[in-house]
Amino acid sequence: MARTPSLSVFAAVSAFALLAACSGGAGNGAEETAEETAAPAGDAPAEIKQRQDNFEAIGDSFKAIREQLETDAPDFAVITPAAADINERLKRLPDLFPAGSSMEAGYDTEALAVIWEDPEGFAKAIENGIAASEDMMAAAATGDPEAVRGQVGNLGKNGCKACHDKYRVDDD
Amino acid sequence: MTTHAVRIWDWPVRLTHWSFALLLPAMYITAENSEWGWHMRLGHVLLTLIIFRVIWGLIGTDTARFSSFVKGPVALLTYLRGGYPHKEHKGHNPLGAFAVLALLGLMLAQVSMGLFAGDPYDGATGPLNPLVGVGTADFLTETHEWFFWVVFGMVGLHITTVGLYGAFQAQNLIGPMIAGKGEKALSVEDNPPAPWGRALGALAVSGGIAFWVYLGAPLLT
Repeated sequence: MARTPSLSVFAAVSAFALLAACSGGAGNGAEETAEETAAPAGDAPAEIKQRQDNFEAIGDSFKAIREQLETDAPDFAVITPAAADINERLKRLPDLFPAGSSMEAGYDTEALAVIWEDPEGFAKAIENGIAASEDMMAAAATGDPEAVRGQVGNLGKNGCKACHDKYRVDDD
Repeated sequence: MTTHAVRIWDWPVRLTHWSFALLLPAMYITAENSEWGWHMRLGHVLLTLIIFRVIWGLIGTDTARFSSFVKGPVALLTYLRGGYPHKEHKGHNPLGAFAVLALLGLMLAQVSMGLFAGDPYDGATGPLNPLVGVGTADFLTETHEWFFWVVFGMVGLHITTVGLYGAFQAQNLIGPMIAGKGEKALSVEDNPPAPWGRALGALAVSGGIAFWVYLGAPLLT
């Protein structure tokens, strides 16, 4: 029953090799999972990836603004272009939701079918977001951090969250 | 060698072990399906059990206690050189001890990051999200999103190793983790039964801490 050195070494080496393989393949694994969930025939519409990247960028710009507000001296060289970026990207949204590119259609997306069942409501939600982003740009132009701070809640709640609550999977 | 069946693992150790085995895939599935309500509820159950296992590692039965099985690197090297009399010891061997610490530590790290994750304007947030800045929360969210591969990698290593012990050492490690008992040399004595009061007390404390975290850790700030 004595444990032989060769077996021990084999066990240790193979085990660590497995760990290395697992951690090394992390990024690929996530992508594979994403692809497997896309069930419909043909490739997923390119707009799904485009809008996801677009939303990621909007989130990054919004976070950049909020991060500045957490500092003692908010930097408007960050805030002003970030506000403009959000506005510009929100304007792209109407073109990024082709019919049938919903989660219910089987794609790896959190976009709910209600977007296409309620097109007027969805269009209005985007307009509200664009309007809020314009208010944010105006606040950034004043150079007053408190004015920007006041617009964070407006843009976050009436722009981002209002639309997410209704048109995106969000079970919390 | 003549052997007899001895108690090795107490019920709290087995219950937490198999709960982890069920909860980790459940955490992955709820996250993949954006079931954030369930993801967070189960996350707090997981947090409770991790804290419980740590407390139990301090006040539990012999084989559950860190002090009984966590050995230094010298003991580990000696173990890896071979000759460890498995039948004459019950509980974690020096290599398994590291796996226990790694699994608990990685799970605790992953759950802790989840508590701070999210964005109040962008879906679900962990209960401690308001305690950190936007940038910190964003970093923890992104790390939480890939770090589960490290946790699952360690789980894979753990399962592989258990399989190797079964294949090359004819050691059944799974049976004792289910039934609590395993075949050991006659010189090996039973692990004492888990004291119920102590176990329930530890569970109450860990559940209390997790609930306090769930409430956003009030009175801390």
